[in-house]
Parts: sequence; structure tokens; C-alpha cells
Amino acid sequence: MMQRLALSWQRALLTLLLTLSPLAHALTAPDGVTLAVLAYRPEALLQRQYEPLVEYLSSASGVPVHLKVLDQEAMTRAVAANGIDFFLTNPSHFLLIRSERSLTGVLATVQRDWKGRSTGSVGGVIFTRANRDDIRELADLRDKRIGSPGVQFLGGYQAPLLELEAAGLDVRRRGRITYLGNHDRVVRAVVAGDVDAGFIRTGVLEELQENTPGLADELRVLNPQRLRGFPFRASTRLYPEWPLVALPHVDNGVVRRVASALFALEPGHPAVRSAGLTGFSPPADYQSVESLARELRLPPYDHAPRVTWLDVLEQYRPWLLAVGVLLFLLLVTSAWLGRQKRQLVREERRLRELVASWPQPMLIIRGRDLVECNRAAVELLRYGSPASLVGKELAAFSHHIQPDGQVSSQKLSNLLLRVEMGDVATTEWVFVRSDASDIWVEMTLAPVYEYGFDSPAVLCSWYDITRRKQAEERMRLAVMVFDNAREAIFVTDEHGVIMDINDAYCRITGRTSGMAIGMPPPLPMDEGSGVLVTARKQGVWSGEFLSRTHDGRRLVLNLTLGAVFDDHSRLTHFVGVFSDITKIKETERKLRAMAHYDALTGLPNRVLFADRLHQSMAQAKRHDYQLGVIYIDLDEFKPVNDAFGHDAGDDLLVEMARRMRTVLREEDTLARLGGDEFAAIAVNVSGEEALESLLSRLLAAVSEPVWVASHSVTVSVSVGYTLYPQPGELDADQLLRQADQAMYQAKRRGRNGYCGFSENLL
Amino acid sequence: MHRRRFLQLSVSAALAPTLVGCFHREPLRMGVHPWIGYEPLYLTEEFGWLPDSVTLSRGFAARDSINGLLSGNLDGAALTIDEAVRVQAAGVPVRAVAVTDVSVGADMLMARPGIHSLEDLAGKSIGVELGSVSAVLLFAALQRAGLTADQVSLVDLPVNRHLQSWQLGQIDVSVCYEPTASRLKQAGAVGLFDSRQVPDTIFDLLVVTREAERRIPGAIEDLVRAHFRGLQHLVRNSHDAIYRVATRQQVDPEAVREALASVMLPELAANRRYLAPGGRVETVARELATVLEREGLIDRVPDVDELCSRDFLPGSLPS
Repeated sequence: MMQRLALSWQRALLTLLLTLSPLAHALTAPDGVTLAVLAYRPEALLQRQYEPLVEYLSSASGVPVHLKVLDQEAMTRAVAANGIDFFLTNPSHFLLIRSERSLTGVLATVQRDWKGRSTGSVGGVIFTRANRDDIRELADLRDKRIGSPGVQFLGGYQAPLLELEAAGLDVRRRGRITYLGNHDRVVRAVVAGDVDAGFIRTGVLEELQENTPGLADELRVLNPQRLRGFPFRASTRLYPEWPLVALPHVDNGVVRRVASALFALEPGHPAVRSAGLTGFSPPADYQSVESLARELRLPPYDHAPRVTWLDVLEQYRPWLLAVGVLLFLLLVTSAWLGRQKRQLVREERRLRELVASWPQPMLIIRGRDLVECNRAAVELLRYGSPASLVGKELAAFSHHIQPDGQVSSQKLSNLLLRVEMGDVATTEWVFVRSDASDIWVEMTLAPVYEYGFDSPAVLCSWYDITRRKQAEERMRLAVMVFDNAREAIFVTDEHGVIMDINDAYCRITGRTSGMAIGMPPPLPMDEGSGVLVTARKQGVWSGEFLSRTHDGRRLVLNLTLGAVFDDHSRLTHFVGVFSDITKIKETERKLRAMAHYDALTGLPNRVLFADRLHQSMAQAKRHDYQLGVIYIDLDEFKPVNDAFGHDAGDDLLVEMARRMRTVLREEDTLARLGGDEFAAIAVNVSGEEALESLLSRLLAAVSEPVWVASHSVTVSVSVGYTLYPQPGELDADQLLRQADQAMYQAKRRGRNGYCGFSENLL
Repeated sequence: MHRRRFLQLSVSAALAPTLVGCFHREPLRMGVHPWIGYEPLYLTEEFGWLPDSVTLSRGFAARDSINGLLSGNLDGAALTIDEAVRVQAAGVPVRAVAVTDVSVGADMLMARPGIHSLEDLAGKSIGVELGSVSAVLLFAALQRAGLTADQVSLVDLPVNRHLQSWQLGQIDVSVCYEPTASRLKQAGAVGLFDSRQVPDTIFDLLVVTREAERRIPGAIEDLVRAHFRGLQHLVRNSHDAIYRVATRQQVDPEAVREALASVMLPELAANRRYLAPGGRVETVARELATVLEREGLIDRVPDVDELCSRDFLPGSLPS
């Protein structure tokens, strides 16, 4: 009765509390709360393992606790929808959930149990089949297929990944990781050979081994860690075990009661032993898991952290300082360089302006091409604009071969090479202008060092030397004429003293130039310096005169002497040209002789006779004396000629001529008119008797025997004569004909006699 | 590492012919022996974070490190503050470049159950390894009790022989640390005093010789940076580090956890404070030098004015 009363009182109080306080209502939430556990292993297994824990919590806290085993995706969805109240998951998944929504915080951290040893740490296991001899250490996992439960697994993904990256392997980038959902599948995949290696959390292998004893021999753990007191094999460093987390919507009282129930669990309690735990400890510090995810850039830290300038400044102060100093130095240097460059550009521009405005032709050559030229240069070559020149080589405006025999382009190359070495070169060059005329220039090339170019440009200036070259050419020709002329040439000063002579002068006069220079030139003896006076007055004198060579030989010279005046009409020089005409004169003389004398006898011929007769007739008239014209014909000449030959005939004629000549006086003239006919002029004849006595002597001299061709021959002549003047006017021909007629008369009278002309002879 | 490489590049670019040789010097030889405070260096080595400029010389006890420094075989060592003072007094000037840990209960004074207070120590035989940090705790305790060394009977005994002497009844009190302390406790000893009662006094330090400081300052920077990186792993990834330390020390992870609880591992900011000129390390060293000299444990009081240097502490640590 009392019991029942007490019971009913209690019930009434409870009812009161329930109706009065919403808190109390929550405390006894009739549908209870849900604890979700991550399905890191097969769902059924976990369901079985965690059922005792849930039952314990329900009874210890007085709040019905339901168990849900969820995979990560389902758990994340359930959390987002407040579909669960508490959850137990791995730290990496927890961090992801925490980043997506607010949580109350970690209530407790799992303490795992393994055969009496407890740990609050979890790590990763990297393993492969024991018979995979090719996989011995972490480095062997390069390019291998790897099985993992999923990205948001600490031991099954993140912890192994860090170790691999520390070993220098980036297995993520290779994309050879297969996500299998839970640890058991990873183990199966490795055993089956579907993957080369697997990532799982610590403890799983040991648990599986319980049911499959041979498993330990089938698998090999890589990178084993020596961790004294840690109950499991591990390949990685360790992190805090799973957190148990309450969601914020869960009532505080419920949370407190669940927490106190959790902490009240002692090791060995059936509720925890079933789940493989020793119990729950106060929340661990999960910062190391955060650092891990951050280092691997995994969700929720897969975005680069926001770094402020202050962070950078704080962390990299010395670097920034160094970089700052370097930048400053760089700026200073570039400023300095910039100034230098500007100055150089200014100088360059000045140079260009100088070149452009310079009155002499100037150009700039870079490489081999013209890059710049001024107006004067363009005009010199008679082009329209600089564009016609720029970009071309100098050789393009030249003949293929320069006058000195060098090929233009080659000569230019040699010059440029010298200039680029730093020399200044000067040369003469012939250009061809646009109108095809030649122009001589003296070209000077000098190096110009410009900013930004390794080799110097070449400044080129031209000086037009065409006139000089032409003058030189004329001079050269003049010298050649002077030296090589056959005529002797001399130049004297204004006083007629020789300054220069040519070779012909020496040859003709027989004097060396040493003897001739400083002396007067050969001049006519009689006129002497009068010649110079004439030449000065009339500009030129010319004439022939006799002179002598140095060794005394006679010369006939033909001299032309010119006076040379300067711009102010002052006499400065005389120039004379003479030639040796001695031989010409001699020849002239011979020719003349041939025209007037008989070649056989040396006596004047008919022409000269006629001439002499004219002169004698004129003289006889002037001096009033008589002259006789005598015609002589040899008798019996032909038989001699026929009998003894022409040579004998000729000898006879010569002998006859000599004999007749001796009979005649000096002033008389004997001439051979042709054949065996002779004629003579006897001047100053004092009457017929005197003439006839002369003729008698003549006949006597002729009739003397003559030794001809080894024979003594006796010949005679028939002579006719006439006298002059006569009463009538007569010319020379008439006179000679009279004598001829008289000679015929004499022949008719019986030869060897003479006969005078008279009218009655006719 | 990156910074060093960058500086190397920029300097060698500027002074290529003269300075290149400097970077191929011998590495900094660092003596270490097993102690929870020195674990960060071991961890860096295990994870390959120790730069080439530093090599660890593993000893069994502090004696190995001290001998190495005195003989010139080492350029630096992990030592307690008193050991640093002793080395300095022995004529090898050293510089403390980092505080690895501060003892907060690691060093203990274990006594027979009848001894209830420090004052009761008078006349008792006290086992202590005078050449170790235990002496520091003992003198601090005696000072606290108003006693002098003359008033107690000091038995200079290596700490690994304390249990035996205790069991033989040769000592009433032991100045020791784990694991000897636990074993003594099992043998009936009770804790009378520990380093929690003398806060900020028993320091473990990374020291380098002045010679090394002059010759290879870059390597010292590398060393200190590596220590802090290892420390970060020890503290933040304790779920992992505990097992690794346990493996090396051949003890259970639980023991490592307890050992960690008995020391305070100062981070960068605390290091700056401790190593400041006139800071706590310098003050303690000066007091210690006086006591050690008075007790005849060192021949002369060394100059400790410039014992500490903050120059090698990194400006910041990666998070």
C-alpha cells in the first residue's frame, strides 16, 4: 500500500514536471535520440558491435538512444538535416562536418582496446600482399594502384598520404587511387589483387585477423613504425582517435547525461568491449588532424589559406628586406642606366644632326649597309632623296672594279674591317652617279661607338677630287708627252736660262740634262737673244738654223719658241720645241742635185743649163758683154757604144766631159743635154775669134785617143755655136736652137769641126 | 632552411669567391642523452627535420655530453643549468641558446616515512649525485629548511644506485627523479619535496660553446629552430609523440605521459623571457654558481653575465 502510494506520488510528480517544463519534456523525449556511427566497416558488423553501447546509454542516461550506422555521405546528409543527434566518426570526417555547420563540440574521444591495451591514437596502415616482392618500401608505390576507403578517412587516406608525400610521392596527381567505401573492401581488394596496395586505419587488420587467421601472412605492412605500447601495426604517425560529437539542437541536459554515461564506462564493460573500446576519454586536441588536412590541402582545407600582407611581412621579413634592397638597387641602377641611355641617345641625335647638316657629303654605315646620309652625299651622287641610298652597300654605287684594280666590294670589306677594329681609313674611290658619270672621291672612314651596338658604326665622309684627278691626268699626259716626244722640248725662265729639258733634247744635242740646265738653249748664231725678244713680242718665234752638238757635229735645227705669260701677263717662261732637220736638209740637197745635174757625168743637166743660160743672158745684157752658146755632139759615139758596151760608152762620155770641162773656163758652164749631146755657155767672149780658138782647143782635147774598155779609141765632136746678144730679141731656147742648127751645119761639113750660126745657114 | 638557402644564394652572388667555403663547414656536433626535455631533438631527427648543419651525438648520460664539451669533441649539448655552470667553471665558455624544459616535479626528494618536514633532514644521510641537477634541488631544499650542507650527511651516489643503497639502509633520503623515484616509492619512500616547490629553478638548456657561436652561428640557428619544430610535434601531436618517446626510452606510453606532466616545456615566448639579460636563467645560474663554489663543487665562480643569448631564437614559428 505504502509502496503503491509512493509510486503514485512519484508518478504525479513526474507528470507535473513533464507538463510544466519543456526541458523535462525534452529529457524524456519519447522517441529518444539517435547516435550515428560511421560505417567504416560493414554495416551489419558495426550494428552488432555498437548495439550494446546504445543499450547501455539508453539505460544509463534514461534517454532512449537509437543506433544508425551510416556511410559518410548519409551521415553528412543526416547532420545537415538534423536527422541525428550524436555521431561518432573519424576525425577527418568530423573536421569536414564541422566546417559545414556549427557543432556543440567534441564530447569525448574514443579509447580503443586491443587485448587489454588501450589507446587513444589512430594512424594509417599502408600494406600490400606479402608476395609482392616489387613493393618493399614507400618509394615502390610510385605508379601503383592503391585502394582507399575514401578521402575523408584519416587512417585510410590522409595519414598515409602525408607519409607518401614526405617520401616524395604524389600519388594523388597520378590518379591511381580507388575509393572503395570502407576498410574491409580495401583489404579484400588488396588480397584479390585488384589493387597493388591499400590504405586502412590502424586496428582493422588486427580485427580481421581474428576471423581470418591466415591474413597476417598474406599481407605485408609497409613503412612499419616502432611505437612501443601502441597495440596495432602502423605505417604512419598517429593522431587522436574518433570523436563523439553532439549536434547543437540536442538539449543540453541530454548531452550532459549522455556524456556522463560515456565517461562512467569502465574498461571491460560489456557495452564497450563489444565495440572494441575501453571507453571514452575527455576530448582530444584535433589540431594535428587539422594541420594534416591543411598540409595536404584536403577538404575542408582544400583552398589556399588567406594570407594577409602582414602575415607575409611577419614570416618573410628578412627575405622581403633583401628583395626590397635588391629592388632598390635595381631601380637605382636602371635609373642610372636610363640616364646614360638618354645621354647616349642625345649624343646620337646630335651626331645625326651634325651629319645631316654638314656641307661635305657624310654617311653612316652599319654592318655593310648605309643607314644614314646627308643632303650633300645625295647630291654628289645625283640622286633624288636619301631613300635611294639608305639600305644599300657602297659597292652598289661603284664599278665592279676600282681604278686601283681591287674589286669594289672586297676593298670595302677590308676597309670596314679595319675601321671596326678602331682604325681610321682613307682611300680614293670612284662612284658611278645616277647619270652614269664617274666621280672621284677621297673617302675617310672612322668608327663611331653607339649605345646598344656591339660593333661600331662607321662614319664616312667624301671629298670630291674629280677635278684634281682630271688635272693629275692631264699632268700625267703632259709629262708623258714631254718625256716621250721625238722633238726636244725645253723650258726656260724669263731670261732664257733652261730649267727643264726632255730626253729628246739630250739625244739631239748630246748634252746631259746636268750640262743643259742652267745654260741657254741652242739659238741661231746670228740672231741670238733677238729670238727671245721676237718671241716675247709676237708670242712665238720659229725658224731653222745651224748649230752644233756637244761633240761639235753640225746640226740643222728647226725651233719653235713660245713665250709663257702668267695671269698678270708677266713673262714667266719660254718653252721651246726643236727638231733635228740635218738629215732632212741633206736629203733636200740631194734631191735638188738629182733635179739639176746629170748623174753620169756630174754636169748640169738640161734644166740647170736652161736656168744658167737665163742668168748668163741677163748678166751679159746687164754687163754688156758677149756670150757664146755652144752645142756639142759626139761623132761616132754609137759604134763605140755598140762595140764595147754601154759601160764603155759611159766611160767615154765621162772622159769626154772631163776633157771639155778642162778646156772651158771656170765661169763657163758645160752641161750634158742627153745621150751624146752636150752644151756649153762661154761668158764674156770677146768676139768670134776668141770663141773659135776656144773651140779649136776643145776639138783638139776631144780628139786625143781615149782608153776605153782596154782599147784606144779616137772620137771627134761636131760643134755649133751662136753669140748673144744679137740684133733681134732672143730667148734662151731660140739661142740654143741656133747653136743646134750650127752644130748640124758642122756635121754636114764633115764632122770634127765647128760652125757658127748665121742667118744664111738657113 | 629556405631562408638559409636564400641568404646563401644572395651572399654567394655578391661575394662568390671569398665566402662560398663558409657554407661547407663541419656541422654543429650536439650532445644529447635521454630526457623528456630533450625529446624534441630526437623527434626532429626521426622525422628528418634536422638540417645537415647539425648532427646529434647520442650519449647515455649528461656526463657524456659534459666530457664532449670539455674535450672539444662537441660544439654543444643539452644540459641542466647546473651542468652548464660547471662546464663554464671548468674553462669552456658556453652560451645557453634555448630552454628545453623547466622541472615541475620531475626532481624529487624521497624520504623514509618518519621524515615529515625539511627540518627533519638535519643529521640524516642523504643520497645525492652531487655532479647532477639533484644537487640543485638538495641545496634549494636545505636553504628552504635553513640548513647547511654541514648539518646533513651527504652521500655522493649515482642515482641509479639509490634504490640499492636505500634497501641496504645506507641512505635515509634520496634526491632523485623518475624512474628511480617510482621504484623508491614502491620500496616505501614518500615524497618530501620536489621541484614544484622551487619553480623556475631547474632548467634544462641547449648550450653551445662560444667557439661554435663564433664559427657556425647559422648551424646554431638551425639547431634551435629544429628543437622548436620537434617541440611542436611533441605537444600538438602528443597522440603520436608519446609512442615514439616510449619506444626510444623503452618505457610504457603511460610513463611518458607522466614524465611530460613533471616538466613544463616552454614555447618561444617563454624562452625569450627566460633567456633575457638579467632573466631567470641568468639569475638562477648566478645563485647556483655561488652555492656550488661554496660547497666545493666547482673551483671558482664563473662569469655568468652573458650566459644566455636570445639571438638564435627564431622570430616566429610556422603554425
